[in-house]
Amino acid sequence: MPAAEGLYAAFGELVAGGDGSILCFDFQGDDPSVMLRDFLTELLILFERDQRCLVAVVDAAFTESRLVVTVNTAPVDLERSAFHREVKAITYHELSIRTVPGGYEATFIVDI
Amino acid sequence: MADNYTGPLERIDATRWRIPKSYKPGMRVDGVIYADDKLIDAIKGDKSPEQVANVACLPGIVKYSLAMPDIHWGYGFCIGGVAATDPQKGGVISPGGVGYDINCGVRLIRTNIKFADAKMQIGKLVEEMFNTVPCGVGRGGVVKFSKPELRKLMAEGSRFVVKRGFGWDSDIESTEAHGCISDADPDSLSDRALSRGSDQCGTLGSGNHFMEIQVVERIDDAKAAAAMGLVEGNLTVMIHSGSRGLGYQVCEDALKELQHTPRKYGIDLPDKQLVCAPVESPEGQSYLGAMRAAANFAWCNRQIMTHLAREAFSNVFGLPAERLGMTLVYDVAHNIAKMEPYDVDGKTCQLCVHRKGATRAFPPGHPELPERYRGIGQPVLVPGDMGRASYVLTGQPGSMEHTFGSSCHGAGRRMSRGAAIRASRGRSIKEELAKRGVIARARGRTGLEEEQPDAYKDVNQVVDVLHTAAISHRVARLRPVGVIKG
Repeated sequence: MPAAEGLYAAFGELVAGGDGSILCFDFQGDDPSVMLRDFLTELLILFERDQRCLVAVVDAAFTESRLVVTVNTAPVDLERSAFHREVKAITYHELSIRTVPGGYEATFIVDI
Repeated sequence: MADNYTGPLERIDATRWRIPKSYKPGMRVDGVIYADDKLIDAIKGDKSPEQVANVACLPGIVKYSLAMPDIHWGYGFCIGGVAATDPQKGGVISPGGVGYDINCGVRLIRTNIKFADAKMQIGKLVEEMFNTVPCGVGRGGVVKFSKPELRKLMAEGSRFVVKRGFGWDSDIESTEAHGCISDADPDSLSDRALSRGSDQCGTLGSGNHFMEIQVVERIDDAKAAAAMGLVEGNLTVMIHSGSRGLGYQVCEDALKELQHTPRKYGIDLPDKQLVCAPVESPEGQSYLGAMRAAANFAWCNRQIMTHLAREAFSNVFGLPAERLGMTLVYDVAHNIAKMEPYDVDGKTCQLCVHRKGATRAFPPGHPELPERYRGIGQPVLVPGDMGRASYVLTGQPGSMEHTFGSSCHGAGRRMSRGAAIRASRGRSIKEELAKRGVIARARGRTGLEEEQPDAYKDVNQVVDVLHTAAISHRVARLRPVGVIKG
């Protein structure tokens, strides 16, 4: 969720409104940071194409080679949201995930 | 993210600095950066020279890895970078050498309108353009194309939208490559790329994209200015945008697809953002086909915006755009890779020229130029910042000799977006611009802060370097009077 919030902060101040819907994403690979990037890319497309955003992570399971995330999404309230800028992509530059006390810390850089 | 560069920079002459290929293992050629004494200090402030050195490691790179004076840090390649590779010698194509915004570029429209007569109308013009041309996050275009239409549009380029009433026939001749690179392969684009582009053709976007109403403040080359129809004191319109979501997705798809390609072809890279494939490989050809399709989309995007800008002017002045003399001076790409012939050691070779934040700058007599520019050289459009100036230059013979027919693309950032926002606290950039005589309108809340004049280098210095180096010559200086941001 914090990674998604980081991405959404680049867009502006998004406010969700309307009916939620559940989506499930399943990523496989050999680099957890790339799988996180792929997940954030799905959120980017969801916002840009469907004007929807993530409101809650329902379930997340990950290993070194797989990331499965179930999320609740809702339409972005275009009237109440404030948009700062578009995001072109989540880049591979300095992409990383580190273990920190109580969880993980991820670095990703977006191209705007 | 971007620390200082501490590696070697050897002075070659008044406008060039060398990073010798002995600097790091894997460099196949020297790096060469165009800058004067003042600019080079700013350039050392981030890691972009390191990126010039990294690009010098690409297989098949010819002569040198180049950077224009507007160089700044980018993803993999620096912005302002030029690299030519020889496919016959294993030369590669790298999506990072083009960037996410494929065929981001600039076009300039001249007018017959005297600023002195229209001074009181600038506010109205800005408002009309802001409302006529979709800009900002999530704004769809005035026309939505189906997927089959999009594929046709990407195969035909500008001609496709001009035939549908979005522009004039003469616009096509005044566009680089006539607004269409051949051998585009629209069928290779993913469904996602098509859906991201379906309603974005004819939209400005956000970030550093803009439309500007400018006044021709100074003419430096009367003959060239006359050929372009630029008259001191008259208004011009500059449009800066690219291939929108469609192009971003083409780059995204390519970066993913090419992740393991370097290993397959035994290519060692110092930075994984430089992923690449031999130009002649199936992977390289696939990216080139998709990139060309996205480039053609970008030309259609700027073409539709041109049509809308003419409509806005027409509405404000109550005259058809033809009567207002709104002809297209030129349209140039500054994020692209193209196959172009160059003389290498006395032999003509077809090279793959990557320009990432660099503008083509062909000299007088080049066969690709429209007849009216054959005697003066290709117009090179260099937007500065929204408070100072932009420039029109012409390509010179030095560009063919030294920079693979390339020049700079802008002023170049000197502040990150975050730093620019922090520097704006307690200030109103809109009011500051108004004091300079610039009326600005932005859709996004932070657009003006991020793009404030101080965030950019001084475009005058950037242009001076390339004028002195005889890469491109000054023709006219344009001062902004109205700015529209996404």
